[in-house]
Amino acid sequence: MAVTKDKSISAALATASCALLGTGVTTAVDAQEVPKWDFNTSLLYYGEDESRVQDLSLRAIVRRLFVDDRSLTVSLTVDSLTGATPSGAIRQDVPQTFTRPSGNAAYVVPAGVLPLDDTFLDTRVALTGNWQQPIGETSQVNFGFSASNEYDYFHLGLNGRFSKDFNQRNTTLSAGISIAQDEFDPEGGAPIPFTSMLDIGDTSNRPQSQRDKDVLDVILGVTQVVSRKLVLQANYSYASESGYLNNPYKVLSIVDGTTGDTIQRVAPGPLSGPSHEFVFEGRPDDRAKHSLYTQAKYYMDGKVLDASYRYMTDDWDIDSHTLDVRYRWPLSDDKYLEPHLRWYSQSEANFYRLSLVDGAPLPAFASSDYRLGKFDAITAGLKFGWKNRNDNDMSLRIEWYQQMGSIPAGQLIGKQSLRDNYPDLNALIVQFSYRFSK
Amino acid sequence: MKNGLLLLVLVAMSACSSMGVEPWERDILAKDEMQLTTDAAEAATDDHIYFSKEASSGGRAFGGGGCGCN
Amino acid sequence: MARFQAMGSPCELLTEAPSEVDARALATLAADEVWRIEDKFSRYLEGNVVNHINAANGATVRVDQETAQLLDFANVLFSLSDGLFDITSGVLRRVWTFDGSDRVPGVAAIKDLLPLIGWGRASWQAPELTLLPGMEIDLGGIGKEYTVDRAIALLREAGPTPCLVNLGGDLAVTGPPRRSRSWTIGIEALEAGQAEAMLRLRQGALATSGDARRYVEKDGRRYSHVLNPKTGWPVADAPASVTVAADTCTQAGMLSTLAMLKGASAEAFLDEQSEQHWCRRSF
Repeated sequence: MAVTKDKSISAALATASCALLGTGVTTAVDAQEVPKWDFNTSLLYYGEDESRVQDLSLRAIVRRLFVDDRSLTVSLTVDSLTGATPSGAIRQDVPQTFTRPSGNAAYVVPAGVLPLDDTFLDTRVALTGNWQQPIGETSQVNFGFSASNEYDYFHLGLNGRFSKDFNQRNTTLSAGISIAQDEFDPEGGAPIPFTSMLDIGDTSNRPQSQRDKDVLDVILGVTQVVSRKLVLQANYSYASESGYLNNPYKVLSIVDGTTGDTIQRVAPGPLSGPSHEFVFEGRPDDRAKHSLYTQAKYYMDGKVLDASYRYMTDDWDIDSHTLDVRYRWPLSDDKYLEPHLRWYSQSEANFYRLSLVDGAPLPAFASSDYRLGKFDAITAGLKFGWKNRNDNDMSLRIEWYQQMGSIPAGQLIGKQSLRDNYPDLNALIVQFSYRFSK
Repeated sequence: MKNGLLLLVLVAMSACSSMGVEPWERDILAKDEMQLTTDAAEAATDDHIYFSKEASSGGRAFGGGGCGCN
Repeated sequence: MARFQAMGSPCELLTEAPSEVDARALATLAADEVWRIEDKFSRYLEGNVVNHINAANGATVRVDQETAQLLDFANVLFSLSDGLFDITSGVLRRVWTFDGSDRVPGVAAIKDLLPLIGWGRASWQAPELTLLPGMEIDLGGIGKEYTVDRAIALLREAGPTPCLVNLGGDLAVTGPPRRSRSWTIGIEALEAGQAEAMLRLRQGALATSGDARRYVEKDGRRYSHVLNPKTGWPVADAPASVTVAADTCTQAGMLSTLAMLKGASAEAFLDEQSEQHWCRRSF
């Protein structure tokens, strides 16, 4: 009896409240408990063809929400990298022998094959933390740190960002700064630029020392709401890198000025290392980059177009253009497809050299790292997103990435023009994401 | 380059007065899919991939760096 | 956003008004209503209707329509709660002070007050109320929630601007905000600064009963500030606080108050009601 009575209390209260407030119509309550914890996890497979780099990466981003829109975000990424990466030397019609970065062994690359260094194997762990909170009603600050560790590399960075809303929150200006100090402790020591790759066991040109790199980033941004369906963003960023910017594992082939073939190495005794002349690369010890990034998000009757363009220029004379377009196309209330296209183009660094000519004066800087060359790249992908039974977001995306490089005119010597010196890089990206809240 | 940027910012600022929405017109802009970064994990992944494969990085936010990336 | 002080609590009005002028107009509208109700029904103020009733000393007082509606409502609550919700129980405050101290009143002092308590002893024939000499009424248990609902009704009449009215934790909204999908509200935990739970409120109201800082403690026993009007003693095993979401702030507030009065069976009581609720016990 008492139970029935208790049950009716809610209804009786509603009636009495209506009488008290004199309102016939009341709107039904709609309250939902907000999850305080937000987990964004993903598993990524990145694989390049021809047994180049393979990466299996696990990422978890955890956000804890506090009252008054304050939040703490922590992310942890573990990368497991395997595979081989171009050593910087060019193909030859004969087999080539290289000393491993460790200096303890050698490996042979068959005739006609692009020299890859297959000792590349690493586990990378990265941790970031970020605290965000409003200041007053129209401003917001962010403080964060980042740290990552690989067997030969350690990174530590701090960053801060301030943003302020204007014009009824339609305009947001932001300014941020980030500083990082990275420590490179290359396997086998950091080689002195332009010295030769030496015999097994000879580390005389590779002093065992740790090298530092400092990075300063400044970013200034404007976000503008244009209409109910259009929001624009523009960022200017400046980055200054100084210190050890070389890649200690990359070499250049020393070639004959007429034939373009790599010079055979001659040694007084039996060869126990490289078969040809290879020298370690050397880059400037500073770099300044400017970039302008613009992004537009446009809502079209349920579909969302996300387009961005970035222009970057630096004092190594690299200019790049990046155009990225995503189109989110809902299939139903809880499913969508999102095609993605990205086009990238960069010019080569002013010290990019495919090879160096034997006997010619050495340039101040030189690198044959394919990432400093002239190339275009295309990414094409498709993402499928859905909600599972518990209303959590899941998504799967598959993307193809292709780099198509070209050697600058005038750098091809003799027989080099008959060989593919800048083979395409093809990679498959598969990422599964799962987001849930508690 | 710098002048171009300054001009762009000024244009954006001066256009503010006529641009934008009233506070009650934010229904669409408040949607998850209309946020500038929709998927933080995916964005961080892409930043890192392209940082290690190309000569450019950043722009959207700080990011991508902190690796030897051979 | 506008902030002001009333009814012993911080009051807040959040609006998405298109301009500062509009925001000010809405804030004035809400604040004026809050202050009007406070002036009219506060038992601390001289010359208002509650003061008249409490000073009547057995004489019949004729009340206005708004007061009559509130007394009708109190009457309904009294019977719904089997006498646990009683607007005449305020006299117990003469002996109970919940300030975290160890001052527990004597059994005799409480017993002396009991004859002055009991809505059943009053004669209420709208619009006329007759109390026994020495009896008092206190509408504080209904006032805040009623005020929130009144202010919301006025703001709704004033236009479509989304507003949230918060009177010391009892709050209601006119509708969903436009800037985001919902109002985000933190339910305070027992430790300061930590949110126990966060809610997204699009429609309706929230009210919280209970205050972990108001208690007395003696001989290892903690007495909550929720008093049983029949015994004059605190309700045993009452939760530390109860928050309820309902269509109106009045409904939410009354449900949370009734739950507190149920003591150990607060959760069972709330589970039988259809409204969402958050009940905390740990001190």
